[in-house]
Amino acid sequence: MKGAWSEAYRLQGAVFPELAYEAIYAVRQGNLPPSIPPEELAPRSRRRATQSKALVAALLALLALGASALMRPDVRGLLAPGLPPVLYETALLGALLALELTLLWWTSLQILPTFLTSPIFPALESLPIDAEVLDRTTFLLFLRLFDLPAATALIVTPVAVGAALRSPLAGLAVLPGVASVIVLAFALSLATGRFVVRNVHGSPGGRSAAVRRWAYLLLWAIPAFALYATISAGPGVLGGISALAARGPAWALVALLASYPFAFAAGPALLASGPSSVFASGVVALAAVLVAIGAYALATFGAVRWLRSNLHAIASVRSATQLLDRPPGALGTHRPSLSVVVKDLRVASRTPAYAFLILLPVLDAMAIGLWTAASAPLPADTFRIAAAAVATAALVATFFGPAFFAIELVGYSYTRVLPLRETSLLAAKVGLVAGLYLIASGTVLAITLVHLFAPIDFALFVAAELPAVVAAALAELALLSRVARRRNLPIPNLYAGSWWTAGVAIPGVVVAGAPLVLYAFATGLGPLDSVARMAVLALAELAAAAGFSLLALRPRPR
Amino acid sequence: MEPPPDGAIPLALDRLVVRYGERVAVAGLSLTVRPGEIYGLLGSNGAGKSTTMKTVVGLLRPDEGTVRVFDHDPSGPGIEAKQLLGYVPETPLVFDALTPWEFLEFVAGVRRIPGPTASDRAQRYAEALRLTPELHQPIAVLSSGTRQKLLLLAALLHRPPLLVLDEPFHSLDPRSVRVAREMLREHVASGRGGVLLSTHTMEVAERLCDRVGILDHGRLVGEGRIDDLRAAGGGSLEGAFLRLTKEEAGVRAAVRSLGTG
Repeated sequence: MKGAWSEAYRLQGAVFPELAYEAIYAVRQGNLPPSIPPEELAPRSRRRATQSKALVAALLALLALGASALMRPDVRGLLAPGLPPVLYETALLGALLALELTLLWWTSLQILPTFLTSPIFPALESLPIDAEVLDRTTFLLFLRLFDLPAATALIVTPVAVGAALRSPLAGLAVLPGVASVIVLAFALSLATGRFVVRNVHGSPGGRSAAVRRWAYLLLWAIPAFALYATISAGPGVLGGISALAARGPAWALVALLASYPFAFAAGPALLASGPSSVFASGVVALAAVLVAIGAYALATFGAVRWLRSNLHAIASVRSATQLLDRPPGALGTHRPSLSVVVKDLRVASRTPAYAFLILLPVLDAMAIGLWTAASAPLPADTFRIAAAAVATAALVATFFGPAFFAIELVGYSYTRVLPLRETSLLAAKVGLVAGLYLIASGTVLAITLVHLFAPIDFALFVAAELPAVVAAALAELALLSRVARRRNLPIPNLYAGSWWTAGVAIPGVVVAGAPLVLYAFATGLGPLDSVARMAVLALAELAAAAGFSLLALRPRPR
Repeated sequence: MEPPPDGAIPLALDRLVVRYGERVAVAGLSLTVRPGEIYGLLGSNGAGKSTTMKTVVGLLRPDEGTVRVFDHDPSGPGIEAKQLLGYVPETPLVFDALTPWEFLEFVAGVRRIPGPTASDRAQRYAEALRLTPELHQPIAVLSSGTRQKLLLLAALLHRPPLLVLDEPFHSLDPRSVRVAREMLREHVASGRGGVLLSTHTMEVAERLCDRVGILDHGRLVGEGRIDDLRAAGGGSLEGAFLRLTKEEAGVRAAVRSLGTG
């Protein structure tokens, strides 16, 4: 038994550099390896993989430290003055665990296509290696992709919680919850990944198949959307718990505390403060939480067993192929930039990591629209509603868009042998970002129109912000293009290229956000005047971004 | 796409140097592909063939020297050279997430080929290469040989005057190799276009190429018509190859060492 683990550990050490290389340079997807000495490729891939893991680990640490800062009594007094401390702490810890779960689920989904389609597993299978050793090697390889983030969550969360609650025991009590969310995140991502590889990768061409694919891909967007929803719905949940604590019914509060992952959060909070008067039914509530923790612990144990025994089989899953007796039909050709747009949408429909970048702004817009429409009565100022909707649509489209659309500028060497001008390529990608923004803001405003019919005001606001979104996309793509050209680094995989994606998104968000900030400061002048000023700034940004793009894309002197 | 003028040289490399860091992959290579000619670039693994091909199509930039495709620079900002060439890479990696038909729509769109013309050519080439049943499957699930056929089809779709083919036959079945050979012969029959083809299979070079260049450690160590090289190699192209790359003694030693085991 011990020998199998040590052999598996030795094997994963030999194989991991290849996995890192595939993830970072995407050579299996058609990208050229960078022009550096071959002996530097493996160390550089490992370094970049470590950097990406460090970024996710830093985010997890920030979340834990942020939650512990919010646990201070003075902050609680500001955010939820009427809520008993134990419930406030449970809510915060529950939200922290939910965020850790969704962040790990989402990031593991980014790397999963590389993992599941890697040729290293067929290569290992062809060698005389014991099946048990192979299973364990796959398990260790998967764990190694997330060792740093998982270790950070396991260490920083208890320390931060223990310090915030001034109880080392409470800090230790959060450990089972953190372990459970890590295991659940990995199990969920693998189950999602297997489903998508089976049903999406091998899906044939044609419209009905495309519709089916996009429906399946909604699954992929769930963790990212859940991450966003946990952040944006946080204050609402806190308010809901306050209302339940004040007015009941008691069973609903108990049910909430026993739900996942709040049950794991209730334990440390109770250890820190002791069962308080909030648990009116005392023993029943405590028993419910304990039973829930036991059940979730069993489920976590089951998930570990499932992961260990199925990981290798999942890594070997291949998409099904079926020969279609269908006439080729006619090739529908478009002009170059539109061809790029159509191609990108088709690639996205079979590549979950990219599909979610398109789906997220649209899902987000639908959620905001429904939330706004449901929270009647609406404010009379239509521009205030439009500002909220457009700000979210613009920032989400700007933040995520280029990561997906940069695929062409940096990867897939075949496109680089086609007679495609960089300006056509840039126009196509910017057009996609603008289209995403228009669909997202249009969706939220269309839902809102049911309650507040002011289409012209809404349209004016959307149009005033549009040049800023285009400017942000132009600036981001030109920056990415320049970085990519210099370093020959693909960014088809958000996890692998997270440094660059995050780096260029910052100026993009500033450019897209500036007119909205101006509008907020100029509201005293009246809505139309403020929108006019906003439009002028957005147009000026567009002119500046166009100039910057031309400079950035200048041919490199030899 | 403007057709090149009569007699224009499809491809000219002049003292081309390409490096990967300190390692020199192509060391001062000069060669010309003449109109109506299929030029074979022969070399062992790692001789610099693929690096040369990638530089010709603009994927890599020369560190020194020049590449001219009908007198255009393929690594420059213009697209003129890329309009005039078709390329089949050594590793058939393209957009795995597209079907061949979707991929051809993309290529035809970017190359501005009218829909009916592109459809007609694509269907005829697909029939000839027996690719039709796979046209609506994702490229991800296709075999290496089928991908290679698709890339050959995509390279021919705009009838380019220069074809750059990096080991184009190594995954194809014998029937497809025969069909592809005929396609290439027909392609240069007008006397205006040219083909640069890399291979380490002597039979391919002997059956298809008008002239060959032998590449060794990034340098051209021999060049000429097949018959001339054969004569210089004691009646076989393989003999000429081994002699020019100074591998004869090494081969004999390797065979001897196998015999002792």
